[in-house]
Parts: sequence; structure tokens; C-alpha cells
Amino acid sequence: MNALDWCFKKSIWVYHVNAGSCNGCDIEILDVLTPYYDVERFGIRLVHTPRHADALLVAGPVTRQVRERLIRVYESTPDPKLVIAVGSCSTGGGIWYNSYATLGGLGNVLPVAIYIPGCPPRPEAILYGVAQALGLVPKQVEKQEFAEV
Amino acid sequence: MLKHTISELKEALICLEAGQVTLPYPFQPHPPDENFRGKPVLHTRKCMSCGACGNACPARLISIRDEAGIRTLSFELGRCTYCGMCRDACPQEAITLSQQFELSTETPGDLLIRAEFKLVTCRECGHPIGTERQVELVREKLKASDMQLLDMSYLELCINCKRKIFIRTPALMLEVVS
Repeated sequence: MNALDWCFKKSIWVYHVNAGSCNGCDIEILDVLTPYYDVERFGIRLVHTPRHADALLVAGPVTRQVRERLIRVYESTPDPKLVIAVGSCSTGGGIWYNSYATLGGLGNVLPVAIYIPGCPPRPEAILYGVAQALGLVPKQVEKQEFAEV
Repeated sequence: MLKHTISELKEALICLEAGQVTLPYPFQPHPPDENFRGKPVLHTRKCMSCGACGNACPARLISIRDEAGIRTLSFELGRCTYCGMCRDACPQEAITLSQQFELSTETPGDLLIRAEFKLVTCRECGHPIGTERQVELVREKLKASDMQLLDMSYLELCINCKRKIFIRTPALMLEVVS
């Protein structure tokens, strides 16, 4: 068991960052916290400051304006930390991937532990993604390749 | 104080009536609605790589590249918005949106679909015309149509070479169509 596994064995507290998201992903993140999905039974809790957080849930394509603040939030999160990219925008930039105002995804700004694509992702998908980041469930997607011989 | 306790008791009664509302999701599967648009799947048996999906995609994630006699169709699903425009645009119904939504991954490279198709080149100038499947499809459609083409070999010419040949020898056109 390495140090990271040991640190994230129990309850992880998440801090939600909106990095230029359209609110779709934010609504789904809030949905995960409602009694219907109830992530608190797994010890996952939304906290109000990055200084209490173990993981950052970042939604949005990372606009130029928010980049500096996002890095400040990242730096104020104590180590060890997980960065979770929620939604298609933070995974690959979404439909704003080549816009002058965005940086085309979270992967270009911060080291990301796990990407959860979806526009917006289902609450179940967010739950699955966080569980996958903690190593509780396996990955389900793989590359599809085909060549006509 | 008493008022407060009573209202709390009332709330507890409501909660008892409602029973358990929490989904047992990670322990039991929770399938989405049948109209749900999940991860797009490319049926490579049907696809003829015409590129209609690439023109329709709002996120411009479908790219088509012709290189060394091979056409590569690639879907970078990392930025897919699951709108289903590619499925609607596809003339061959080769793209469907599956019910899969648990797409989380450590590397966005896992969300890639890549398909390679053989290209047919013009017999005169060597310019790529289309994929073998496209040419085959046109040939079949022409055979089934009322137009009685005598010489099918004109399918192996690119549009510029066809024009040049017909301009040089207009009689050929009559020969082909008659």
C-alpha cells in the first residue's frame, strides 16, 4: 500500500471549483449530494474551503480569467490531493476547445487524477468516477480501433 | 421549545412514511432511460467513411485524414457533448449512441475511436476519390438505377479527370450513358 492509497482510504472531502462551467455540471455535482444519491454514506463531503479539501472537483473548460484563481485554489489544497475533472469541458475543452478565451481543458493547467466526461455527466457517473479515483471500481472504457485490411 | 419538538416529530413522521429514497447505485446498476445518449459507437462494418458526421459535429471532434492510401476517421470523445448529431447525419446508420455512461478514465486517450479505410485513387492522376466502400456503394446504386451505364470504369476517375476526358472526346459521354 503506497502513501496515496493510505491517505485516501477513508472519507474524502471535496471542494467544488467552477472554472467557467455553464452550471450543468455544477447542478449534477449538487445532485450527487442530495439524499437520492447520497454520497455522504461513503464519507464524501462538500467543504467550503480548499484548505479542508482532499479532492478538487473542477467543472468547466478553464477560462483565461479563472486560471490564476484555479492555481491558487490548487496550491491552497493540502497535499496529497486529487484533481477530478468533471464534464466534457474540463476533459477536452468541450465545444470551446479552440476558443481564445479558454485553455482547452483542465489537463493543460493542472495534473488531473481522473476525467469524468459527459455533458453533463450523470450523477451516477460522477459517483463512479470518484470511486474509480479511489481505486474502488474498475475502468470501463477502452480505445476502439479498426483497420480495413 | 415544545413547539419546536412537535415540529421535529412531525418531520420524523414524514420521513418514516417516505421510507428509503436513496438509490443503492454503486451496489446495484441503475440503467438510464432508453432515450439516453451515452458514448457513441461506430459500427465499422456499416461505415463507409464519408465524413457527414464530421461536418455535423458541433464540437468538431471527428476528424478525417487521407494519407498514403488510407483514410483515418478518428473520434476524440473527450470533448463529446453527446448531442447525437453524428447519428442523425450518418447516411449508413453506422453511428449509434449507447447506454454507456460510466466513462471516467485517467487518460483521455481511452476515449478515442479510430477507424482506417482503404482509399481508391484516380486511375489517371492518382488523386484519392473516396474509400473502396464508397465506390462500391455508388457502383451498386448505378447498377440498380434505370440509367444503363455501359462502361463502369469511369467510376475510377476523379472529378477533374472525368471532366477532362469528356471535354476532349464528347462522344465518350454518349457512349457511357446511352
